[in-house]
Amino acid sequence: MNRAYLRGGAALLALVAVAACDGKGGDPARQYGPNPYLPEPHQYLLPPMSVPDAVGWKPGETPTVPAGMKIQAMANGLQHPRIVYTLPNGDVLVVEGNSPGTEPFRPKDYIQGKVKNLAGAGAKGGNRITLLRDTNGDGKPELKTVFIDNLHSPYGVALVGDTLYVANTDAIVTFPYTTGATHISAPGKMLTDLPGGPIDHHWTKALVASADGSKLYVGVGSNSNITENGMAVEAGRAAIYEVDRKTGAKRIYASGTRNPTNLAINPDTHKLFAVVNERDEIGPDLVPDYLTSVKEGAFYGWPYSYWGQHVDIRVHPQRPDMVAKAIKPDYGLSSHVAALGVTFSKGETLSPQFADGAFVGEHGSWDRDPLNGYQVIFVPFVNGMPSGKPVPVVTGFLAADHKTVHGRPVGVGLDKTGALLIADDAGNTVWRVSAAH
Amino acid sequence: MVQWTDGRRAPALFHPGFVAAGSALLIAAFVTDFMYSQNALMQWANFSAWLIVFGLILALLAAILLVIDFITGRAGRIAWFDFILVAVAALLSVINELVHTRDAWTSVVPEGIVLSAIVTVLLLVAGFRGWRVTTIANPGDVP
Repeated sequence: MNRAYLRGGAALLALVAVAACDGKGGDPARQYGPNPYLPEPHQYLLPPMSVPDAVGWKPGETPTVPAGMKIQAMANGLQHPRIVYTLPNGDVLVVEGNSPGTEPFRPKDYIQGKVKNLAGAGAKGGNRITLLRDTNGDGKPELKTVFIDNLHSPYGVALVGDTLYVANTDAIVTFPYTTGATHISAPGKMLTDLPGGPIDHHWTKALVASADGSKLYVGVGSNSNITENGMAVEAGRAAIYEVDRKTGAKRIYASGTRNPTNLAINPDTHKLFAVVNERDEIGPDLVPDYLTSVKEGAFYGWPYSYWGQHVDIRVHPQRPDMVAKAIKPDYGLSSHVAALGVTFSKGETLSPQFADGAFVGEHGSWDRDPLNGYQVIFVPFVNGMPSGKPVPVVTGFLAADHKTVHGRPVGVGLDKTGALLIADDAGNTVWRVSAAH
Repeated sequence: MVQWTDGRRAPALFHPGFVAAGSALLIAAFVTDFMYSQNALMQWANFSAWLIVFGLILALLAAILLVIDFITGRAGRIAWFDFILVAVAALLSVINELVHTRDAWTSVVPEGIVLSAIVTVLLLVAGFRGWRVTTIANPGDVP
């Protein structure tokens, strides 16, 4: 302990110098792929915060897409849409939700909350699912109606057979579904509870069904950035669960995943993939968010370490035994992009370039300068694994001067024609990207 | 009670009470930092962050009252040694609050608790010297 204090005395001398350090983030491209560049971690006096003002979309304004594609607003005026999900008959479900609200603990929480809300993170969620029906596939729904109402901070949704599974922030609830239904009034039945309050820092519960439909996988985020709300509230969090669809019995399938914000099954290999948001406040280029195949029983490091054995000194007591167990994820997406959506492409419907790979929705950074993310990218796959550089697909969410933001992409999905759908929670819009011809 | 040589009671200085009250909170933050360093229960670190914020608010009030003490002729000369003790403690506490905005262990150990300890020593010295950073005005100084 005394040695720690002596070190502290020396560190104090460096403190003023550190305070003056500007700490700009470098080229995100250095952090794409399996071996991202990882700089030394820093401890800050002022948490680095940089957010654009959310201004929404004016009529006629849209994000931009590459030549050969077109983008249109499929629905707007939604209430914080986060997830898009296409039913077998082509109807599109839009999950509208936001955090149930957390109580501030520290002086910092008041300030940080206000800053994040500038970029539209604090808007009230609809706590409902809206159904869009576009029978002729022109991207203009003939029907837009409330499908399920009065949910509790919903996020993930999955249909297996005639049962619709909705992941509220504290439980998976089930609803009976018949093909063509436009409204479900039956009350949801609880399949299993999920870690919700107290605090519920990372509130989203991502949901996907296994290829054979027997299991559900659920992404449960940590209850803090890096254990600053105490270890006790992290029990059962920062993990991906496997839930038996029939009985609701659940177990932790993989752990150490700080915030597994979305899950998808690779249609070729039937392997489970996740996008995971990593920790903040140790630098603009730490720690890269990632896309990874999820290995059963694996530990991905949080909170003790990141990207394998890079120890996080903010965690106490430290656990060298857990650090030793931590495995590296497959593919870095660069730091603070806030990857929230992932879906696999389906053949060449959209473009030959996007035949094999995954689309990832990047909500955008709040603690990095310059800003990072705020786009939908395509990660090419080879032999069932991510390989090569990501390609920006949908951009222009951020204004050219990076001072304002029109919208922020969250969940991504494909409609029955293979067009790419994007839930935009700050713009309250669902975007549809299709081939131009 | 401080009396002037002619037997009248000197008007009380306003600022020392607030210097003392603010110091009590900043010194308490050292105690809560110490508790956190021993048991790693986050609530102790949360207490520290709040104690330093409210200690600094009282320090700001003390600074305003110090000005009033001069304007109303209650204060005589500035006592530089005491003033510097308290001012340095306040500045270090501003930095300390920023350190305490970090997440988890490094919000306290090592820089946070070292700053709290230094602030505590400075303020205890100021306390034994009577919490005031000015002299009391002489009768002839009263406007």
